[in-house]
Amino acid sequence: MMSDSSIDRMVLQKFATTSGRGWLSSLENPKYLQHLLLVPVLIFFIVWNVIPLFWLAGMGFYKYVLVTGEPLKFVGLHNFIEIFNSFEIWHALSNTFLFVIIGAGTQTILGIILGFIFWDSKGLPGRRIALTLIFTPMIMAPLASGSFFRIIYDPIFGILNYFIKSIFGVTIDFLGSSSWAFPSVLIVDTWMWTPFMMLMTLAALGSVPKAELEAAEVENLSWYQRLINVVLPHGKFILMLGILLRTIDSFKSMDIIFTMTRGGPGNATELIGITLYRQAFNAFTMGQASALAIISLLIAIAFTSIYLHVLKKKESFA
Amino acid sequence: MEDRNRNKNLKRSLYYILLWAISLLFFSPIIWMIICSLKTRTQIITLPPEWLFVPTLKNYIALFDMFNFTKELMNSIFMSLSAVTIAVVVSFLAAYSFSRFKPKGTDLIMFMLLSMRMVPAAAVIVPIYLLYSASGWKGTHLGMILFYAMFSIPFSVWILKGFIDGVSERFDETALANGGSRMHIIFKLVMPQVKPGLIAAFIFNIIFVWNEFLFNYIIGGKKTATVPVGLAQGFSAGMSIQWDFIATLTTFYSIPLIIFIFFFQKYLLVGMTFGTVKGEV
Amino acid sequence: MIKTLKQAFVLIICIGMLIPAAALADRVDLKGEKITMSILGIAGWFPSKLGVDMSPAFADYAKNKYGYDVQFTFEEAPFETLFQKAAASLATKSDDYNIIVSDSQWLGGFAAPGWIVKLNDMIDNNPNLKAIEYYDQIVVDTYMSYPLGSDNYWGFPLEGDTMVLYVRQDKLLDPNERKAFKDKYDLDMPKTFEDFEALTYPDFVKILEFFTRPEQDFYGIAQHYSKVYDFVCTAAHNYIWSRGGRIWDNKTGQVWGILNTEENAKSLAEYKASLQYAPPGAVNYGNSEVMEAWNGGKVFCAIMWAAVGQYMMEPKDGQAMIVPPPAHLLNGDGKPNRVYSMGGQPWVINAFNDKQKMQVAEDFMEWWYTEDVQMEFARRGGNPVIKSVLNKPGFEDIKPWFRGYKWMLTTSKGRDFWHNPMYAVMMAKQQEAFHSYITGQVKDPNVALDYAAYHVQKILYDHGSTKLKPPAEGAKIELK
Repeated sequence: MMSDSSIDRMVLQKFATTSGRGWLSSLENPKYLQHLLLVPVLIFFIVWNVIPLFWLAGMGFYKYVLVTGEPLKFVGLHNFIEIFNSFEIWHALSNTFLFVIIGAGTQTILGIILGFIFWDSKGLPGRRIALTLIFTPMIMAPLASGSFFRIIYDPIFGILNYFIKSIFGVTIDFLGSSSWAFPSVLIVDTWMWTPFMMLMTLAALGSVPKAELEAAEVENLSWYQRLINVVLPHGKFILMLGILLRTIDSFKSMDIIFTMTRGGPGNATELIGITLYRQAFNAFTMGQASALAIISLLIAIAFTSIYLHVLKKKESFA
Repeated sequence: MEDRNRNKNLKRSLYYILLWAISLLFFSPIIWMIICSLKTRTQIITLPPEWLFVPTLKNYIALFDMFNFTKELMNSIFMSLSAVTIAVVVSFLAAYSFSRFKPKGTDLIMFMLLSMRMVPAAAVIVPIYLLYSASGWKGTHLGMILFYAMFSIPFSVWILKGFIDGVSERFDETALANGGSRMHIIFKLVMPQVKPGLIAAFIFNIIFVWNEFLFNYIIGGKKTATVPVGLAQGFSAGMSIQWDFIATLTTFYSIPLIIFIFFFQKYLLVGMTFGTVKGEV
Repeated sequence: MIKTLKQAFVLIICIGMLIPAAALADRVDLKGEKITMSILGIAGWFPSKLGVDMSPAFADYAKNKYGYDVQFTFEEAPFETLFQKAAASLATKSDDYNIIVSDSQWLGGFAAPGWIVKLNDMIDNNPNLKAIEYYDQIVVDTYMSYPLGSDNYWGFPLEGDTMVLYVRQDKLLDPNERKAFKDKYDLDMPKTFEDFEALTYPDFVKILEFFTRPEQDFYGIAQHYSKVYDFVCTAAHNYIWSRGGRIWDNKTGQVWGILNTEENAKSLAEYKASLQYAPPGAVNYGNSEVMEAWNGGKVFCAIMWAAVGQYMMEPKDGQAMIVPPPAHLLNGDGKPNRVYSMGGQPWVINAFNDKQKMQVAEDFMEWWYTEDVQMEFARRGGNPVIKSVLNKPGFEDIKPWFRGYKWMLTTSKGRDFWHNPMYAVMMAKQQEAFHSYITGQVKDPNVALDYAAYHVQKILYDHGSTKLKPPAEGAKIELK
């Protein structure tokens, strides 16, 4: 935190050459400026968020199938009732929730462990490189990672099965067996996003004031005590942030699973993102897809509210 | 004393080895992919895998021969850079307003910006697709860039607001008191101080746009195809699954991003935590 | 006099030339123009690529006959996403793609919203197009008409395709193998094309069993099983139809009671049983995977499209013998019967092309179905569809699979399904149901069939293709 006087000094230095007021003077009035600055963002927001949202909300009450050439037909709550009655969609939703909970959960636990392991690693030779290696899974295009894991998992040509066969003598059809497909897909997701949770943990640890950490060392607190009494109170917010972010992103999952299994075998790995995609762009049943989209949006908003609630808590905490 | 030191050093070395082992473990599928990109197709699917082989750059050369690849690459670069730049600039202005003036509706807008990001992709595509078809924007560069910009705004606003909040308001006050204009304050005073935030926002979003596939596939047209779209199309372009193509394209396409996270590691952290943690990890 | 005679002669010639000109009166004159046409083709599918590769030769024809220059650009998408890509574009009335290679089932999806040109008028007004004689009615039924069985034409057949059986000739004719087989089953393995014509499924299964040797990493059969696109349905239909079943009534749109019968359940079970003779991971087998299994030397035989014959010539040249796929027994124990899925692709013309491009498309089709071009197509490995080429002596020797292809290309042995616009939704449901069954998620084939029948009929009912409502209790069926 800079002292007031040093701030003043800095400002005056920068203002050695003051800018003229000129035609921009009308912008000086905060009353107008505050809104003016928002205009670009608002335009984007209205065109790409609000209008589509209303469109979506409306379309959910219509039947509109692009490929039949028939015009829109108002069907009231029909689409929503269909969704409610659809075994397929409930199945996809339950798969999705399972995926999110197990996935985000595993990634969090593993990420925290890794974060702690790496916390003291300032002296590691080639540290930058090592960290880059860990973070790379996060930045790979999901489409690409999914494609590549298909090769790795392949029962005949894949390298994983090669090792498994040499050691155990069996081949596992990771992506084709109804019992293995879901875990296999989860593993890839975990591979991709555990580094993220690790990053979050490091951030959480980073937010703990050094003084307190040192004090804990001096007092010789146990590892566990340090966690509960020093780290968690400060880092709680960031960790929660990470978990929520991961949960919400995980809910949307589509690319990576779609590439690997198309939601199969059968519908073992069908997630709601995939169902939505299929309805909209395989079947072109826009009406139904919109209804499903609205429902997903409502679920997403529920999550976001929790998220913001946590954020607000941080504000009061800070 | 000697012994204890040696013990300590041993422990340290083991610790470092453990760290490296973990890093390599995570990176191993990618190593496999890079190796595959240097092999021929038959070599890739041969088992046991040939650990010693003559690497070839043929695949990479072939990549550029494929029709559309160069165009796709150009599109990727052009659209990512433009979209994210627009987003960051626009977000910065808005973030300043949110931070300093807190206009009515700030919280609501911030909330809504974020929640749209949380809807499954296909849900967002449907209305945009219909909107773009009706307005003729489907398949145009402008349409795609603006869409990607919108995509990048929520995160940018949140990060930048966090950073601007961290710049004391005293700067503004002193400057105003000394006859500075708002524009001057925004661009000459505040902006330089939130540079880490700008970079973080930029990097974070460019990762998303660079890898983005679905929107471009549905809403983009012939002219605006990016590399991920090319990947999806070339998946089985030659009568069997093109493992070599996939490996090569993926490796090549990931290189810029890997370079980014190597050099800008600390900004990744900033980005992921919405600016709440500003220092080095 | 001579002068007059000469003049008369010239006059007659001129009048004579006017007559064809009158017939071509509707032609848009493109002389001196430079036109770019774009073709959207199927990625990773050889026949589509061949059509696309040969199209520049049309430029010469166009130049010589009609005096204009034409250039082609190409776009591709894989099978399962091509319809989507085309539809997304066509729905915006775009002429991004002037000619589109379509799969046969998609005709309804393209035709109903008016995205492609209805060809009847074009054909009637163009004597060259009208004169085309296709090899068999099945060509017209599969690649041209929507609705199925009507005479509304929406596509021209680009590539004819049927299923054939690829067999490892080296193993089939190996005397040791033959002896071992005879000893084990007291039966001779088939040897010739005619033998395979007579082969029935129960005996076929014995051969599969005989050659399934996991310890040698060698298996009996590769065929389609994947949930992706239409793969599992295509293969399942072979069993259902050959054993005498049907999947729907294409006149009334009834599915319930027709698809979900005891007989079809047995057929499905038989199909699932074939998995034990297939390599691990076969449940994900689509086109690429079947080909990879075959070319990797992993299987004894493959039931696969004739269209990819060019690419089934590994592991070594001369090892592949191409014969008809086995006949099944009607109802499992009756007379031998063989009805297999039809493959192949038509190409369709974008309805939003401007007048010039429309004319070029028409000229293109005119050129494509001339005997010379069809012969060249055949020589390069494509499957031609016109009578004069298929009936040419020596046709069957041009490519190893032509004999099998021609033999199967008839209404009694091939069948296509559902040119309905809602095909994609119906397909997804049936794929899901069948795949759930063969992967063991659903134990009872009747459940899978009930689920599929209910949903497919419901989709048809909801969209007005049938007046018959599926039974309400069908909604409760779950795939487990």
